[in-house]
Amino acid sequence: MRNIFVVFKREYLTRVKNKTFIIMTFLAPLLMVGFYAATIYIATETGEDNRTKTVYLTDYNPSLMLSNNPPANYVFLPAPSSEDSAIADVKSGAVFGWLKVEDLDTRAIDSATYYTSETPSLVEMEGLKEWIKGKANKHQFAKMGLRESQIDSAQASCDILTKEVSNSGDVQESSSTLKSGIGFALAFMIYIFIFVYGSMVMRSAMEEKTNRIVEVIVSSVKPFHLMMGKIFGVAAVGLTQFLAWIVLAVGLVMGISAMFLNSGDGMSTQEAVQKGIEARTGMATVGAMGGEGVQVAASGSQGARDLAAEFTEPLSNLPYVEIIAVFLLFFVGGYLLYSSIFAAIGSAVNQESDVQQFMMPVTLPLVFGFVIAQTVALKAPHGAMAKLFSMIPLTSPIVMVVRAPFGVPLSELALSFGLLVLMFVVMVWLSSRIYRIGILSYGKKPTWKDLWKWLR
Amino acid sequence: MTLFPPDCIPSIPNFVSMSSVIEAIDVCKTFGEQRVSKNISLKVAEGSIYGLLGPNGAGKTTLIRMLSTITQPDSGSILFCGESLKETHAHQMGYMPEERGLYKKMTVAEQLLFFAELRGLSTRDAQAAVKHWLKRLEMMDWARKKVEEISKGMAQKVQFVSCVLHSPKLLILDEPFSGFDPVNADLIKDLILELKAGGTSVIFSTHRMDNVESLCDHLAIIHQGEKVLDGSVSDIRRNHFTGLFEVGFHSEVDWSVNGVVPHSVAHHSDGKVIYRFQTNEGFSAADLLSAAVAKGGLVHYSEHIPSIHEIFVETVSKGGAAIAL
Repeated sequence: MRNIFVVFKREYLTRVKNKTFIIMTFLAPLLMVGFYAATIYIATETGEDNRTKTVYLTDYNPSLMLSNNPPANYVFLPAPSSEDSAIADVKSGAVFGWLKVEDLDTRAIDSATYYTSETPSLVEMEGLKEWIKGKANKHQFAKMGLRESQIDSAQASCDILTKEVSNSGDVQESSSTLKSGIGFALAFMIYIFIFVYGSMVMRSAMEEKTNRIVEVIVSSVKPFHLMMGKIFGVAAVGLTQFLAWIVLAVGLVMGISAMFLNSGDGMSTQEAVQKGIEARTGMATVGAMGGEGVQVAASGSQGARDLAAEFTEPLSNLPYVEIIAVFLLFFVGGYLLYSSIFAAIGSAVNQESDVQQFMMPVTLPLVFGFVIAQTVALKAPHGAMAKLFSMIPLTSPIVMVVRAPFGVPLSELALSFGLLVLMFVVMVWLSSRIYRIGILSYGKKPTWKDLWKWLR
Repeated sequence: MTLFPPDCIPSIPNFVSMSSVIEAIDVCKTFGEQRVSKNISLKVAEGSIYGLLGPNGAGKTTLIRMLSTITQPDSGSILFCGESLKETHAHQMGYMPEERGLYKKMTVAEQLLFFAELRGLSTRDAQAAVKHWLKRLEMMDWARKKVEEISKGMAQKVQFVSCVLHSPKLLILDEPFSGFDPVNADLIKDLILELKAGGTSVIFSTHRMDNVESLCDHLAIIHQGEKVLDGSVSDIRRNHFTGLFEVGFHSEVDWSVNGVVPHSVAHHSDGKVIYRFQTNEGFSAADLLSAAVAKGGLVHYSEHIPSIHEIFVETVSKGGAAIAL
């Protein structure tokens, strides 16, 4: 056991004292935030096609009035009488496209054709469809004798407040959106952690083998102890990094809160945040839209207040103890399971290029679990598929964590975790058998057949 | 400057009883269908240096790995100081494999500390041992340098130190001189002799016969997984004496009048002419001496005892049956 600690110490200290580790611990959150901000900015601000498109329009039903108020950036021109001429103009680029709506019955527009020289994007097509549908609806309403203002005032809004009734009979406000978000975020953390730090374990095993240092080490320590010291050491590195990020995030939030509180009017943090949102939304919209801006700003700040209010109480009603407990247990269990597999792979190969054949089948269940978490588990966290994949040890670290905020019966949690622990024990035993032979095997590229031989 | 830190002096071995530090009894090892070690038995006396010779692929490294607890024999037993070999005995051994490396990103001092702790030293004792050896081999200036920043020769010294700084009872070296430049090779030789003088027993495998003759008390030749020769160096050499004698003169002499034909003639750079004669029942060593003296100008007369190199080549070429001495 002492040797596990000695190996653990080496694995931990060599990494946390490394300059790259220290820099990335501080830089990585900034890089990630920057990356996502840039992606969102590019998608929202620059992702749209703002070209003015001159399009021929052929409308068999003038009552649709498609030529009035075309969609933004579209200019409609009457199409030539000859179909060939119209297509030739599209081909030559004289016009961007030709929209031909042949439906006479405005109840179902399904004979519309859009001729273009370049395939339009999904967004453009959906935009055109919605615009034509809007025109058709307007025409239908007009036929029924309804005015637009009547239609607008007849639109009903709907908001459902969710309240959970607990086993003890308590009724508390909850939010599916919030629970889904938290569950997904935690699952994502586990997914990333397993990949990043599991790979680190694999590379550590590979380094010792390619550097030819492993033979000296295993003359002093059992291969199993070496493997476990490595797994625990790298886990500690990952947890240190996570802790540093949490401390940084909390520090940032507290710093920003302190900036608002420095106004000295004794506002609570929540009030200060809401005021900040109002100030930001109010100023932006008033500046841009003149008279309308006041109303929009008012509704914008009202929306922000509503948003904050929508989550405040559900946030305080979340089962934090259960969520954190499930997260920690499955975080640790999932990491230990996968890192033992990664360690075995690292011990078997002689070079980086040999890794690929083993990585794909090993990481596939993890990726699959993540896909299941995004689709099945979020849509139906208590459904049969979500339950099934939250029991299978290779996918449960991801799927169960997504389910946890929605409340999972203790029996299911216990069974799932029990299976995970069992699989971990079996996998560690199998991996150590591969590890103790793999680390001293050099020469030809290992195959799955070789791994099977080493297991026996 | 002493070899060992003040609080790490090993016990003086009992040369009278010549007890063994490690003993292999009929050990066998098979990999797949290939039997790599076949009923090998050997005994390493305490405080001695034991050489393991053999051609490539003979099974030396497999045997060494079994002795150093890295692998287990399929059958047979290994005793360490009279006890059945256990993994805990590894703390009393030092092992340097033929293919050896170091952690490139660790400093020399950190690396040595790590190995010392792995071998069972407490952090405090490990720090003292590391400091002692760094001073001993004049490596203090490199203590804080990463391994990737030091030269190969320096790294070789670090490799050797990593397996001796816990003052092992038994040091196992697989091709210790492989990859060492001549200066470091001599340094390692001296260190091995110092360790022996301090009571450490040494087993090493090598292809360098000059090292065997100058260092080893005992040796064994392994060939195709079997031990084919075993004994003290002097006994092995004496028992391979084939009756070849050398006589030397300042110039050539005519032996035809004596009715004998030299086995070979060698002209040395210093002008000496050395004749070798195979003595037999009709022509004894005494007859040769008389004849040589009668020629006049005799400058050299000795029996030619074959070198370990010659014995090795002869033994391995014959693929001979095991001979124990």
